Amino acid sequence: MKTIFNSLLFTLFILPSMLMAQNKISGTVTEQSSSLPMPGVNVIIKGTTQGTATDFDGNYQITANSGDVIVFSFVGYLTQEIIYNAEETLNVALVEDAAQLDEIVLIGYGGVRKKDLTGSVELITSEDFNQGAVISADQLLQGKAAGVRITTNGGQPDAAPNIRIRGGASLSANSSPLIVIDGIPVDNGGVSGMSNPLSMLNPNDIESFTILKDASATAIYGSRASNGVIIITTKKGTSGDIKFNFSSRMSVGDISDNNQIQVMDGDTYVRFIQEYFPNDTGLLGVPVGSVDTNQSVSQIISTPLGDRAIYDTNWQDAIYRTSITQDYNFSVRANMLEKIPIRASIGYNDTEGVVKTSDYERITASLRLTPEFFDEHLKIDFNAKGTLVDKNDIDEGGALGGAIFMDPTKPIYDSNSIFGGYYSQMLPPDDALNPNALVGAWNPLALLEQRQRQVNVNGILANIELDYKFHFLPELRAVTLIGLEASRSKTEERFSNNAIATYTLVPDPSVPAGTYIFNPGTNYRERQHITNTTWESYLAYRKELNGFINSYDVQAGYSYQKFKNDGNKDEFKTDEVTGIRVPNIDPENPNNRYFSLLNLQSFFGRANVNLNDKYLLTFSFRADGSSFFTEENRWGYFPAAALAWKLKEETFLNNVTFINDFKLRLGWGETGQQDISGSVGFFPSIPVFEIGSPNSQYIEGVTLYNAKEFNPDLTWEKTTTYNLGVDFDFFNNNLLSGSFDVFKRETTDLLVLTNVPPGQALSDVLIQNVGATDSEGFELNLNLNPIQDDVFSLSLNGNISYNITEVTDLDGAEQISAGGNLPIGTGNFLLKHAVGEEAGSAWVLKQVYDDNGRPILGSFVDLNGDGNITDDDKYYRAIQPNWTFGFGFTFNYKNWDLSSSFRGQLDGEVYNSRRLTSGVIDNAVSQDGNSLNNVLDFYAGEADVEIFDIQDPIQFSDYFLENAAFLRCENIVVGHTLRDVFKNATLKIYAAVNNPFIITDYSGQDPENFGGIDNNFYPRPTVYNLGINIDF
Amino acid sequence: MKNNILKILFSFILLLFTSCTDDLNTEPIVELSLEQLLAQDPDAIEGILSRLYGSFALSGADGPGSSDISDDPGESPFLRGIVNLQDFTADAMKNRWGDNGLDQLTTTSDWTPDNKFFRYLYNRIFFTIPQCNNLLSILPNVDVENKEVIISEVRFIRALAYYYLIDVFGKGVLATENNFGQTTPLPQASRQELFDYVEAELIQIEPILLTSNTYGRATKAAAQMLLSKLYLNAEVYTGTARYDDAATYSNRVITDGVYSLEPDFVSVFSADNDTSNEIIFPLIADAVVSQSYGNTTYIVNGSLNTETMPLAEFGATDGWGGHRSTKAWYSLFGDLDTSTDDRASLFWTEGHNYEMTDYREWTDGYPSIKFRNTNFTGTSLTSLFSSTDFPLFRLADAYLMYAECAVRGASGADLNTALQYVNDVRSRSNASTISQSELTLQFIIDERARELNLEGHRRTDLIRFGMFTGGSYLWPWKGGIQNGVSIPDSYRLFPIPSTALQANPNLTQNPGF
Repeated sequence: MKTIFNSLLFTLFILPSMLMAQNKISGTVTEQSSSLPMPGVNVIIKGTTQGTATDFDGNYQITANSGDVIVFSFVGYLTQEIIYNAEETLNVALVEDAAQLDEIVLIGYGGVRKKDLTGSVELITSEDFNQGAVISADQLLQGKAAGVRITTNGGQPDAAPNIRIRGGASLSANSSPLIVIDGIPVDNGGVSGMSNPLSMLNPNDIESFTILKDASATAIYGSRASNGVIIITTKKGTSGDIKFNFSSRMSVGDISDNNQIQVMDGDTYVRFIQEYFPNDTGLLGVPVGSVDTNQSVSQIISTPLGDRAIYDTNWQDAIYRTSITQDYNFSVRANMLEKIPIRASIGYNDTEGVVKTSDYERITASLRLTPEFFDEHLKIDFNAKGTLVDKNDIDEGGALGGAIFMDPTKPIYDSNSIFGGYYSQMLPPDDALNPNALVGAWNPLALLEQRQRQVNVNGILANIELDYKFHFLPELRAVTLIGLEASRSKTEERFSNNAIATYTLVPDPSVPAGTYIFNPGTNYRERQHITNTTWESYLAYRKELNGFINSYDVQAGYSYQKFKNDGNKDEFKTDEVTGIRVPNIDPENPNNRYFSLLNLQSFFGRANVNLNDKYLLTFSFRADGSSFFTEENRWGYFPAAALAWKLKEETFLNNVTFINDFKLRLGWGETGQQDISGSVGFFPSIPVFEIGSPNSQYIEGVTLYNAKEFNPDLTWEKTTTYNLGVDFDFFNNNLLSGSFDVFKRETTDLLVLTNVPPGQALSDVLIQNVGATDSEGFELNLNLNPIQDDVFSLSLNGNISYNITEVTDLDGAEQISAGGNLPIGTGNFLLKHAVGEEAGSAWVLKQVYDDNGRPILGSFVDLNGDGNITDDDKYYRAIQPNWTFGFGFTFNYKNWDLSSSFRGQLDGEVYNSRRLTSGVIDNAVSQDGNSLNNVLDFYAGEADVEIFDIQDPIQFSDYFLENAAFLRCENIVVGHTLRDVFKNATLKIYAAVNNPFIITDYSGQDPENFGGIDNNFYPRPTVYNLGINIDF
Repeated sequence: MKNNILKILFSFILLLFTSCTDDLNTEPIVELSLEQLLAQDPDAIEGILSRLYGSFALSGADGPGSSDISDDPGESPFLRGIVNLQDFTADAMKNRWGDNGLDQLTTTSDWTPDNKFFRYLYNRIFFTIPQCNNLLSILPNVDVENKEVIISEVRFIRALAYYYLIDVFGKGVLATENNFGQTTPLPQASRQELFDYVEAELIQIEPILLTSNTYGRATKAAAQMLLSKLYLNAEVYTGTARYDDAATYSNRVITDGVYSLEPDFVSVFSADNDTSNEIIFPLIADAVVSQSYGNTTYIVNGSLNTETMPLAEFGATDGWGGHRSTKAWYSLFGDLDTSTDDRASLFWTEGHNYEMTDYREWTDGYPSIKFRNTNFTGTSLTSLFSSTDFPLFRLADAYLMYAECAVRGASGADLNTALQYVNDVRSRSNASTISQSELTLQFIIDERARELNLEGHRRTDLIRFGMFTGGSYLWPWKGGIQNGVSIPDSYRLFPIPSTALQANPNLTQNPGF
């Protein structure tokens, strides 16, 4: 059969040449390194449409005239041009083009040459990655891709990244992009205790990121792809010699003084209390001689309560430290038995956070085997990554907040203190009302050092892909992929002896009033098993033709994914008589088990057609089923189409030498979203009963059951995206290249948690498919290579993007809450999704200022002119930035290189809660009048004295909103490369500084804030790194 | 060859389809379907019933931090809404926190449809009602003992929720088991329609309900109590006075029932009041098994403050420093120091000012110590949450209602008996007895204040007596002025929350808002 087929093809290829009466040439094309024949190599006579392709034995025949230029080309190989000198035989060996190989872009269920892309797809490879203090994958990417905004929650070692591609399309559903690691779409939900699931992956193992932005690209991932897709590809083995790589990095992190919140020091605070609260000076410092500490007394003041010793404690200094980080990686790439390319790596990372006891330790190992069998007909890609994480999850709110609020005139330590030597303020034993009670902020250093919340996670991400090219029909491949993403995590919270946080009043009436005990030991335990499985299979058919249809390929397949999260907790309470901590057992659910299950299944197909190598068409279609929805509403259907026009190939541009490439792309597509687990859990469409907790029982003797609200009509949220883009490459040596995309996106059937007609559902709000959002924007990517020679080279890259997402419909409602809880009172939510406004805008009152620009307390503009200040006078202010950008340069001089990258945003706003909680004079004295709180330094202009008291609705004043535009220097790296230090070894030494500076007008701690409310923020440190990287 | 390809393709596709699309029907393990629940627990229906009763006191089913509705679990519970809307808007109790919207309640001014505290109660009412409808639609298909009684209890709970809709908001949809599941917005029912519905429901279930039941569950007397409250206020609700019917049902509570006045007033408001013979229908609280920031915990902790008060004396660990009473309440006892009335001693005066010059100042006005978390007999434990049950209906209220009907000339109510009841209530607290001539409407409303303030009745009472709106009766901070000022008659109802108006276009706003 094979021969029949071959001869058929042969005839097909030969036919055109037989019609010409010119010189006949024949020959064989081989692969240079292996000397194996290469089938399918394009052979054309330059400047004509005449051409052929090699057969399966690498043979070709063509007719040509002397002096013709014959062009041999194949994807991933350097094109060869040979002037024909009337030889009868012309054998050619093609050389692999490393650069071109990189240009293969994975777009889901296969790859495509970058120049044949039809969608808005961005490839970020290792040379573009951020360098220096990088612990997780997201950090490699920050600021690198246009339209991709990555905002970490702060400076924690495994800070949670918030990733938004083109701003995100959903409201109540998840707006994060789908992340695919080596073919496995991974879980968006977190591993318990791990803030950043991406930190399970060692960034040193990552080869590239592919970011799919428009629907024509993402549609093949249909489900969950409305908010974009990030495909992460890890490194592979080699087909050549064995290679080793060792890298090591030492980093030192620090919080600069101007990254601290400028509260008062001890002596300034004394002056402040004497000036504003002369009756409360007796609360300053401590009674002289009452405290035993090495810390020196700053001054002694006399007060109505006697002489007081004043200390000068900077509580922020007390909880911050200079952090030390070590990172080691060793990897080997080889061709095992000359058949199985293998890469194996191990990595160790030990990162200290700049807040004391915020420790993170990670061991990773990875193994990738990519053998091929049966003459490359069967390719196997086996990939396994294991991770062990050990971290301490600190009480951030308590420690960071406490460091701001705690009275600076109090000492840090006191050997006499019952709290293990940490000072903390108490009422005296003879206090009439609450003897021995703790008052004021708790010593924040003790909160850190007296509690351990150990999180241990063992994770594995493994997959095997079989890619079989049919023997009788090599154009057809069958690919199947099985993947497992699993983790086992354990969390245990323990308190040390005499921990302030466990100081408990004994309720027993038979003991003297004011009797307290400590509850050291375990306070919480959790065990969690996450098991996610993936199975995908597809058939791919690819055909190269010689006519107007240059080539086409078709894929069709099926995907199955199951996400299971099963865990349990040990919870504790204090005994109602003794005050001793005892297990809190729920007889109905003794292990406090929690369980969730999500199943996703899809059928998909895609066709790519290359017409004359000028017009590239892509069609895709996907049917997705989600277990979130009932059987009737389960399936969503997502089509997409795209057209790319390679203008460069047209005759009118063909001879324009300064244009290397110019391509126009047009795309349309629909994608879906169904992940509402964050809002309503995993069973939102079926009626279920939850068992009341042991604290929520009512009638004695029966167990309470609660009917949960559900919506059987739920179905897919749908997003339609239109995209128009150009890719360009101008002048010699890729002097200027880049891409520009404009897009428009409409999301309908938006999954929104919104009000139902009262009385007609089991609660007042229900998740429903109502409402719509509209987004639009553009992205520009530019790469400039002004100097490229052996001694000097300079390249610059930059991106800027604009996107705006507006809510267009909420099914009759004007607005719904978008959260944004303000740190005052209860139920004070700042953010709204409102029709006609940007999603998640702040809804605020307009502050009135006096002639000198000073705020007038409690005075607001009566926007509707009705004489009253009510909610009707509020207006909307967009929080999320519309303009984001990133840029950087790399400069090489001989063996030296210098690079730097920057990113930022041009707009956006942040609610500076520090001015609400600590910028208010009245907040200096606690409500019960027993203690003092530190405040922002009014004398240094850190807060307005006019804001002395917060009474509703002052918290909703736009006074607290500040412009969040910033420019952050992400890193500056200097490297020196030494070649052949010993036997082919290349050694690179580098020094890097991460986050050296930020330029902003924002008066608070850090304007880069995802939620828009700056409160108890874990500061981002400046990190200095020294590293080496040896290849041998 | 072509055939082979087709065969392979076909088997490949078959393989795809045979894979379990059934797996898409995922099932929970921790939560249960109704079938699983009934199979697993023979008392399952009573467990669901327990949650319906609990909907007046608990914030949610998963601890005090959970909420059945989209609103804050701490601020939004039903009972907290009753206290906020019925007591803080009236003369006797003021709160000082100034939370977004609370000032407007405490000063009975600037009410707007966006005030979240109105929404909280509205949402709680319309949480309880559909939850009841849900159980009523389940029950016909379930085998359970005493099904008729259980159905009647569910209907009582629903009627109670509707009673607050009638009293507080004056109108709303009539959602029942008959239109349960309908998604198109229901039409608006008038106050009269809602009144007729609740009246008919209560009259139907009253004979079926048990005379005595498990503690916390509805009895005949509870239905009678609710009926007499409905009739007592009928003139306000419908324009037609129904004092005769009010007298009939309050008389039934008193004569048919098994209740008696507790010898000591304080025992009715203590942590061990679950043993009280006086309480007809409680809203249960327990420091361990029934925790809520919106049950009596709100009253007990909210009235305490370490600044001036010893918390442990009242069995509390937390003082939230919020509520104080005004002279509109404590002046009714004359000189608190010399009064023999036990109820006069339930104000914390030490460190506090008689006059409420500034309602935001903790020390202006006397905190009420009527509710406490200590046991009346035996020792007590201190706790964050209160164990004191809220006496939503109690016998003394029935006595005073009967007396009021008699004074208002209801047929079937007898003035001598009325005087006896009033004096029973007063003697129990060691207050002087009164004579027939002293038994006037003014005396009744004042006695109701002395006896029932902070029990969620005051605003309704003042409206019935024509004292709430207008300027005939002023109290501290009425209308936002320290000495009080007239407020418009539209304040006899609260505005319908704007969220409800947006969600159901058939609903209309109350006049004046």
